[in-house]
Amino acid sequence: MSESSHFLFLIALLPFIGALLPGLMIRAGRTACAVFTAVPTALALILLMMLAPAVMRGEVVQAEIEWLPQLGLSASFFLDGLGLLFATMILGVGLLITLYARFYLSGDDPMGQFYTYLLLFQGAMLGIVISGNILLLLIFWELTSLSSFLLIGYWKHLPEGRQGARMALAVTGAGGLAMIGGMLILGDIVGSYELVDILAAGDAIRASEWYLPALILILLGAFTKSAQFPFHFWLPHAMAAPTPVSAYLHSATMVKAGIFLMARMWPVLSGTDAWFYIVATTGLVTMVLGAVIALFKDDLKALLAFSTVSHLGLLTMLLGFGTQAAAVAAVFHIINHLTFKAALFMTAGIVDHETHTRDIKRLGGLRHLMPITFVIGTVTALSMAGIPFFNGFLSKEMMLEEASHTKWLGSYYVIPVFATLGALLSVAYSYRFIVHVFLGPERDDYPHKPHDPPFGMWAAPALLAVLVLVIGIMPVLAEAVVTVAANAVTGADLHPHLKIWHGVTPALYMSVFAIIGGGVLLAVHAPLQRFWNAAPRPEAKEIFEWLVDSVAGLSRRITDISHNGAISRYLAIFVVTSVAVGAAAFFGSGLAAPTRGLLSVPPVIAVGWFMLIVATVSVVMMHHSRFRALVLIGVIGLTISAGFVYLSAPDLALTQISVETVTIMLLLLALHFLPKSTPKESPLGLKIRDGVIAVLAGAGVAGLAYAFMLRDIGTISDFHIANSYEGGGGTNVVNVILVDFRGYDTYGEIIVLGIAGLIIYAVMHALLDGPASRRLRNVDYSQDRSRDRHPLMMVVVTRVLMPLAAMVGLYIFLRGHNEPGGGFVAGLVIAIALLMQYMASGFAWTQARQRIQYHAMIGTGVVIAGLTGIGSWLFGSPFLTSSYTYIHLPPIEEFEVATAMLFDLGVFLTVLGAVMLMLYSLSRIARYAGETVNLEPMDYDPAKTGSGDREEA
Amino acid sequence: MSWLLSLPLFIPFVAGVVSFLLKDGPGGRWASVLGSAAMLVASGALMTTVLREGVVAGQMGGWPAPFGISLVADYLSAVMVVITAITALAVSIYAMADVEARIARLGYHALFQILIAGVAGAFLTGDLFNLYVWFEVMLIASFGLLVMGGSKEQIDGGVKYVALNLVSTILFLTGIGLMYGMTGTLNMADLALIVPTLENQGLVTVVAMMFMVAFGVKAAVFPLFFWLPAAYHTPSFSTSAVFAGLLTKVGVYALIRMFTLVFVGDISFTHEVLLWVACFTMVTGVLGAAAQNDFRKILSFHIVSQIGYMILGLALMTPLAIVGAVFYLVHHIIVKANLFLVAGVASKIAGSTELKRIGGLYATAPLLAVLFLVPAFSLAGFPPLSGFWAKFILVKATLEDGRGFVAFIALAVGALTIFSMTKIWAEAFWSPHPDNQEPKLSTLSKGERRALLMPIAGLAVLTCIIGLFPEPFVQFAEGSAAQLLDSSAYIEAVLGVSE
Repeated sequence: MSESSHFLFLIALLPFIGALLPGLMIRAGRTACAVFTAVPTALALILLMMLAPAVMRGEVVQAEIEWLPQLGLSASFFLDGLGLLFATMILGVGLLITLYARFYLSGDDPMGQFYTYLLLFQGAMLGIVISGNILLLLIFWELTSLSSFLLIGYWKHLPEGRQGARMALAVTGAGGLAMIGGMLILGDIVGSYELVDILAAGDAIRASEWYLPALILILLGAFTKSAQFPFHFWLPHAMAAPTPVSAYLHSATMVKAGIFLMARMWPVLSGTDAWFYIVATTGLVTMVLGAVIALFKDDLKALLAFSTVSHLGLLTMLLGFGTQAAAVAAVFHIINHLTFKAALFMTAGIVDHETHTRDIKRLGGLRHLMPITFVIGTVTALSMAGIPFFNGFLSKEMMLEEASHTKWLGSYYVIPVFATLGALLSVAYSYRFIVHVFLGPERDDYPHKPHDPPFGMWAAPALLAVLVLVIGIMPVLAEAVVTVAANAVTGADLHPHLKIWHGVTPALYMSVFAIIGGGVLLAVHAPLQRFWNAAPRPEAKEIFEWLVDSVAGLSRRITDISHNGAISRYLAIFVVTSVAVGAAAFFGSGLAAPTRGLLSVPPVIAVGWFMLIVATVSVVMMHHSRFRALVLIGVIGLTISAGFVYLSAPDLALTQISVETVTIMLLLLALHFLPKSTPKESPLGLKIRDGVIAVLAGAGVAGLAYAFMLRDIGTISDFHIANSYEGGGGTNVVNVILVDFRGYDTYGEIIVLGIAGLIIYAVMHALLDGPASRRLRNVDYSQDRSRDRHPLMMVVVTRVLMPLAAMVGLYIFLRGHNEPGGGFVAGLVIAIALLMQYMASGFAWTQARQRIQYHAMIGTGVVIAGLTGIGSWLFGSPFLTSSYTYIHLPPIEEFEVATAMLFDLGVFLTVLGAVMLMLYSLSRIARYAGETVNLEPMDYDPAKTGSGDREEA
Repeated sequence: MSWLLSLPLFIPFVAGVVSFLLKDGPGGRWASVLGSAAMLVASGALMTTVLREGVVAGQMGGWPAPFGISLVADYLSAVMVVITAITALAVSIYAMADVEARIARLGYHALFQILIAGVAGAFLTGDLFNLYVWFEVMLIASFGLLVMGGSKEQIDGGVKYVALNLVSTILFLTGIGLMYGMTGTLNMADLALIVPTLENQGLVTVVAMMFMVAFGVKAAVFPLFFWLPAAYHTPSFSTSAVFAGLLTKVGVYALIRMFTLVFVGDISFTHEVLLWVACFTMVTGVLGAAAQNDFRKILSFHIVSQIGYMILGLALMTPLAIVGAVFYLVHHIIVKANLFLVAGVASKIAGSTELKRIGGLYATAPLLAVLFLVPAFSLAGFPPLSGFWAKFILVKATLEDGRGFVAFIALAVGALTIFSMTKIWAEAFWSPHPDNQEPKLSTLSKGERRALLMPIAGLAVLTCIIGLFPEPFVQFAEGSAAQLLDSSAYIEAVLGVSE
């Protein structure tokens, strides 16, 4: 890699590295901060100047390192005449702004941040103009949006600053996104994102069917950035920024990025009708519209902002013409506009800074009070007006010349007439800037007594004003730069001659007409402005805000409709979605003929089936009474268990029965603290809607099940049956699957169960601490409470059942590996046995008689199961690999011990612990609710006299 | 290999148990942090193994696939586990200062670790039913984390969350049942072999749609995402962050897994549906966000919108689109979790998450402002942050697929995202505090500051690294996409046979 390409990398990096400095140097004082902002900029500028000679000779300096080759992105830089021109402007004006801002910003403004943002922005801008890869260009493009957002919103305490920044980012950011699309299409057409390749593929691009979308998207990016109609509205609002920012963003940089892009892409995108009509027309409209609005703005910065819009329109129009001469004019005007506009913004800033107002209506007569400012302002404003011997004149002449012979939709008049109108208006507002601010009588009501600023503040605009004059009088000095830049834009070898006198041409007539007409317009400005202010006109900002508000309003409405907080609506949407996509899938494809016939229906099945239906329908009918609904759900569960028995699935039946029992019991207990009935909330229409949805969903599932059961399937169960005894040491395949083949699943599930217990406990705890506990205390349960809460018969029966149930549980647990049963069912059986004790004698009484912590029980269970699994790692086997052996202990028969049993023990403990913890949580509520606790096992003990003692919990 | 596969799952589980035992003291928090750190090491080791050896698989219980349960780690699974560990570490450190002692004593940190175990389990399993089990673990743990505070909004949000998720898991379970009924197997690799040979592809597609809806609820896609905005803004910020980062992404992961491995027989239907879902999800999410005025609610709706992008990548099914989806997943987890963490700090020092009631953070807490700016503008897709690449790759893939309109939607949604992020920025950071308070970080104790800001800074740095040096990440995503689109390596690793 050559030295010059190293320089190019350095130039690109310097501002970003330099951005770290101001934040640090601000501690050393404001001047140090400004100096250290200038250093990286100046260094970059020096490096650039070292590369300049080669570029001026027509060479292109390139540098490239790979960044993301998969996507066609490389960090490649490319410096030609156009890039050199822009880079010089960016860095040069950057230096001037740094100087100016040092004096402009007040002590309250955090200067370190300002300079950091400025350098970031400068780096991003610089990156755009020297990118050699359009994706890299995009990245820098987005970075300018981002950094300008921070700059525009710098005065964060001003609402208009925040709003202006957001608007600028919204518009330019959206444009940037459009450009991503455009650039991607462009790269797709060319097959490369390298600028060199793209510039060489103009014909292929223009011939492509994707040309128009690419063009529109890229132009969207350029137009938004360069504030072209109808996207021009963000620019004036960005004026809420401090003036140095405005001067920088709206003269040399940000808004010129769009112009740069159009110039950069000129060789490949221009030359078509689409280009001409879109670009030239937009430019023309923007030029005239901007100038009209500028004329009637009383805020100095707003006037300049709209004049910027107008001049950007002029540049856009020139590029849109698509001729080489127009391109030369555009390049020249870019330079000229930069010089006078940056100086004018700074002048406006000085006026604002010194008089504390930017309102033209409150200004006037400043020429003696601020003579230096007056000279600078006048020189640059005259250039903006396009008066001879100021540089603005030269490029405007060239523009008018081009406009004079450009045809629009077959008409020779449209463009010349409007171009002249634009020039005329431009003259008028430039005159106004001079006359209404500096001329006229001196006033005595300035908000602040004005005088010229310190040298540091007027030095930068003065330098620019000198440039205005030098180029204006000796345009030949700019010829070399214009030539090399214009050649880069057009890709041709042009030798333009810049001169003041072109002879008597149509452009001269147009120019003279504009200069005189502008003066006339200013003379009648006051009545015109009254008329303008009275006339109704669309305010772009209001339209933008209306758009934003209506999007927000629309989305609020949509959100309100779909997110009304009612769970029934959410469920309805869920079910409808499922049914709809399922049906779409089903009816979109055919179904092969069934391979199985239907079986006959035995009476017992018919009865069970009928019971199920009755119970289910009853739940729906009676769900307002929660107690009845629970009982009916229990019926359904038991019927299903019976179904499992019928289908020879004793394990399932056993599990189902015990689960059913435990859940219903717990739910009944919970229901004690809840309202006993569900309020009627749904109107009939809603019920019908939900009914239809439910029937459809049910029919869908039933149909699917039917379709499946009529067809043969393959299965891997044979393996499980074959390996259950050999590999798992058990003959009960279901249990071996649960604790061995798929022990890992079971492991996950016991965690779920354990956590469910813990969560119920935790939530109860949190609830009883919160406002809910007050409500609970105030509920009066005495009405529906039995007098004999712990009846003798029940106490006696449950006592008898307790050891029996424990025996059954143990039996079920032990035999689980070979016969229906296992840890899960055993846990539930024991839990039921204990539950019955609690129900019979009350929680406190029972609780006092057992010492196991349920939390610990769950933990132990899960840990035992986990350790069993991890234990197999010690033997080099995967998690949960089981092993078993046979032990003979006299006097009992030989029996089998499997590690899976240990795992099952974990399951057992977790299940038992979780259920009991849930019960415990429920009883805590009861006591909170003021339930009394009995000391005796039953309310009426015939062995004693009277009823059992009670005391408050 | 199997122990390495199960470590990322067992470490958080053990950490959860230990943390539960120590829940009454500071040990509970530290167990959670140490567990997350250990998990990060383990998942890093797993990642290196996967990078070195390709897809690795292990069989639980030593039963050969498809009879037992397989654990599988390909590129996608491995990176998801790593990113889970990173999020877990960040959030568990943050939670040390964020979660009140009252809630910590109820076992918050333990539950958090169990949630992480569930997430890791879901990413690593190669078995359909086992995936369901981990969904359950996640659901129960996340429900606990949601409602632990016991406030009315939390219970309300939690109930909606759990109800809708339960319904979706039931649908998932039904789908599993039908799938088993058709194929007789639950092993995903085995399914990939058997499903194409089935006669009734129409029924396969129906079941595929059941999975799509079930996972769609988890992933919070249109029109099934209601539970998310209803629940995500109520719990502690740590909970919000880990939910926002990880939970929906499990749904997206499951969609990607099933719809690249098993359900690829009728792409013209299934993936076309996904494409529509993606578009509507992007749009409704971002519009929903535009209507919100609360820091966390805006972020919640943006989760939905961003999920759309990931689904878009899956729907297109081209190599580049899958690269985009994978890249997006990783980027989004980091960025989204971080934004919620920032919201937490903002709320702590400024007093609220209502944008109308806070402000001035930029002037008084500039560090926080910078730390917000990085993830926020990454989310909005600004270069050179991770989100730019994610969006860029997807838009490129969309255009290459010739779907200009979809690309337009993706870009337009990006523009609205910018708008939302600047709304938060302008109102919470730029504009002055309505009560003229000066929210300062120094109101937090030193320990709090450290615990709260370190993870945020760490995640922000990660965002920048991905943004500035995207190449290795893109390369990895390409490897991942290649594995996903050609499942032979996956199947061979699990079943030991090639297609």
